[in-house]
Amino acid sequence: MKKFIYPLLILLCIVTACNKLGILPDNIVQDKDAFASTGGVTAYFAGLYNRLPIEDFKYNMNNGYNQFNYIPNINNLTGESMSREVGGASAAQTGYWGDAYVVIRNANYFLETMPAYAFNFNQSQVNQWLGEARFIRSFTYFELVKRYGGVPITPGVQYYPQQGLEELQIPRSSEQQVYDYIGKDLDTAIMLMNNTSEQRGRANKFIAAALKSRVMLFAGSIAKYNNKNISDPATGAQVQGIPATEAVRYFKECYAAAKLVETGGYALYRASANKEENYYNLFFDVSSANKEAIFMKEYSDLNAVHSFDLFAIPNQMKGKDGYSSYMNPTLDYVELFDGLPRNADGSLKTIDATTGQYAYYDNPYSFFQNAEPRLLATVLMPGATFKGQVIDIRRGIYKGDIAGGINPFPGSVSPFPNTTNPYANNPNIVPAVNSSNLPSPMVDLPNGQKMNAGGLSGTYGTTGGSVTISGFFQRKYLDQRKPVADVIVNKSFQPWMEMRYAEVLLNRAEADYELITAGQNDVDYRQDAYTCINDIRDRAGATLLASAADLTSINVIRNERRKELGFENKIWWDIKRWRTADAEIQNRVWLVLNPIYVAANGKYIFDKRRYEGNQQFTFQSMWYYEQIPNGEITKNPKLVQNQ
Amino acid sequence: MGLALLSACAKNDNYEEPAETLTGRVIDNSTGQPIQTESAGIRLRLEEQSWNNGQGVIPQYFNVKPDGTFNNSRLFKGKYKVYPMDGAFVPLVTTTTPVIDNSKTVDISGVTSLEFNVDPFLKVEWVGEPVVNPDKTITVQCKFTRGTTNPAYQFNVTDVFLYVSTTDFVSNASYDNRFSNQVKYNGTDGNALLGQTISITTKGTLGGSRTYYVRVGARTADNVNKRYNYNTPKPVNIPGA
Repeated sequence: MKKFIYPLLILLCIVTACNKLGILPDNIVQDKDAFASTGGVTAYFAGLYNRLPIEDFKYNMNNGYNQFNYIPNINNLTGESMSREVGGASAAQTGYWGDAYVVIRNANYFLETMPAYAFNFNQSQVNQWLGEARFIRSFTYFELVKRYGGVPITPGVQYYPQQGLEELQIPRSSEQQVYDYIGKDLDTAIMLMNNTSEQRGRANKFIAAALKSRVMLFAGSIAKYNNKNISDPATGAQVQGIPATEAVRYFKECYAAAKLVETGGYALYRASANKEENYYNLFFDVSSANKEAIFMKEYSDLNAVHSFDLFAIPNQMKGKDGYSSYMNPTLDYVELFDGLPRNADGSLKTIDATTGQYAYYDNPYSFFQNAEPRLLATVLMPGATFKGQVIDIRRGIYKGDIAGGINPFPGSVSPFPNTTNPYANNPNIVPAVNSSNLPSPMVDLPNGQKMNAGGLSGTYGTTGGSVTISGFFQRKYLDQRKPVADVIVNKSFQPWMEMRYAEVLLNRAEADYELITAGQNDVDYRQDAYTCINDIRDRAGATLLASAADLTSINVIRNERRKELGFENKIWWDIKRWRTADAEIQNRVWLVLNPIYVAANGKYIFDKRRYEGNQQFTFQSMWYYEQIPNGEITKNPKLVQNQ
Repeated sequence: MGLALLSACAKNDNYEEPAETLTGRVIDNSTGQPIQTESAGIRLRLEEQSWNNGQGVIPQYFNVKPDGTFNNSRLFKGKYKVYPMDGAFVPLVTTTTPVIDNSKTVDISGVTSLEFNVDPFLKVEWVGEPVVNPDKTITVQCKFTRGTTNPAYQFNVTDVFLYVSTTDFVSNASYDNRFSNQVKYNGTDGNALLGQTISITTKGTLGGSRTYYVRVGARTADNVNKRYNYNTPKPVNIPGA
């Protein structure tokens, strides 16, 4: 008898257990909890925004989003910035795919579930949320399409195992279909949402419009400039490339979206009359007075931190964790701006064209004293004052006789041939030691004092390798109020400006110019572009365009974009969508500026040359489209790989 | 238990290792010889057809050597669709209109040989021998002509590059930027030089008493890959001081 009891007991357990399985566990948040109250919905959105793929201080070229390490940031691939840790070009393929579809699924789940709970709220509130979910979905699809071209568009929330594999595996839509899907989704979001955000950092009608201007500009650029057209043989969908005939439509949509943002009361930041301080402060002002900030990602000491100051801080101000000097703007970038000393032929006046010899400057900063305020707010110059200290950058000391002037060192005259040891065989110069181990030598000066051949912050330093290699530091985003004790790991919380009004104006000006080129004249696009560019230049303190006729090429607008949006993780995507990266960055060695002290007269000379490390950057054409992660193709065999 | 774990670790994968060989050449139709390229200048694309009818198969690639030959002795047995791509030649496969498919489908088993014929964008030829000048530079003469009669692939000539290197890998992928010299052309200026003999000289002063390799690459505004077509590398002896 005993033998039969156990099976019976087990059977009993199974039968009773079956009855209980219908009860949902208490420890999992259920729809009725999340969707029935404002607090629940806010929490749901907190999750969505947290996963939103924003390329902020935590995005790097190797690992993608949410990384501690911002050293290999994508600005190192465009000529904006250089770093001793980034020795060459990269495809920057971060494999962002699976995480994107998590965000898309969660947004879709919200869109499908919310209507059933809508009776709890007023309609305007519900519409705002439905618009926000579409904004988040669009933002995420855009991050995919700008990397891969056409990607699968999920028809809604998918369920496994309720749905079969065949049904779950979706082939890629064409690149055009994805851009059109985003455009339509954002139109709906714009229609649904209110003019103001529910909380700071969340979307509203105009933020969706700003995103649309960005997305449509990308779509138009791909249609116009892409030449690599690849279709999925199984479906016929053109997964890489958009027919050129679509370009005008996209540029017009970009223009219209940008005009819509203008009606939202946004304007360039002009809080302070000092244009340099004003541009610098733009990135720190989170108050409602900052009408330029459209979409900002904020951080806080307790909840979300990054380490930007740690990485970017000049060596002489570094904190106890030891990092410093990883973000070094190139001279190629600095030279884009107005107000630098130039010869009559336009060349940078490191060498005086009338004598063919080096020009003298009273101190390092006198080289930059007339520079465009926006440049001074973006880049920290040798001799600039920051946090109460003078940035000390020196490549060496010239000790020779200067009665006959100083002739150019090898490699410092256009076209600046690559030279690896320009100062080594010159008996007149004592260079800072080019080594990470040795301190640079002290030099006796004629006035009896001693001076270190290298500066405290570069180049090739006094105490170690943590110095600038270009002669410059990034100032944009670097917090001048942060005490040295806080320049440590995970102790930065200045906001990330993901979208600001200057970008919208630049989007608009670029779309304007593309429409002029395409022969469109339904609006005076030339005048509109002129107004946008001069608005930006005026705020920057740059030289204004004299008339609309000065818009002689698309490069006027593109260069304005580089200057205005530098170090904001944007230009990489721009040179890719313009399809100019391969031509621009081809066996290229970035230019640097070496300040050298002249012992005989106590002045400085500036040596412009290609980086002595002679690291060459080449962008490969095959990088315009990233490779879909192979693991995703294994899961979904209907995906065709990019070429 | 411990024994079981240890012995499990020692077990080999029970699948046979890939041992088939695919070898062959990419022939330049303008010369009848294998096409001259650079390291990673041409990729050979393989799509396996014997699994799932080729659907969902991740394409494999391997590089064609700079001398235009290829060899891979570690492939799994199977049926593959194969074609070279990314080089400075008229593409063999296009997927948008006009759709072209000049790939080859082969069963790879044992040693399988394949040969592809391509039309280069440009044919680059030496004219005479490189000359060493007294100032330790090298002057070469060369000419380039169209390698294809298809007008859709006759792009503007953008530049000619005299490459200098200490190895015979000399090319855009490996050169000394202190000595190599690039001549760029604006718009259609370069097209006027098609078929003409042009002369280029190296930059800087070449260090004495050793052999350098020189080679000329010429390129068109090819709308996708922007690779160079090359002539064959030539060694040049620079006499000592």
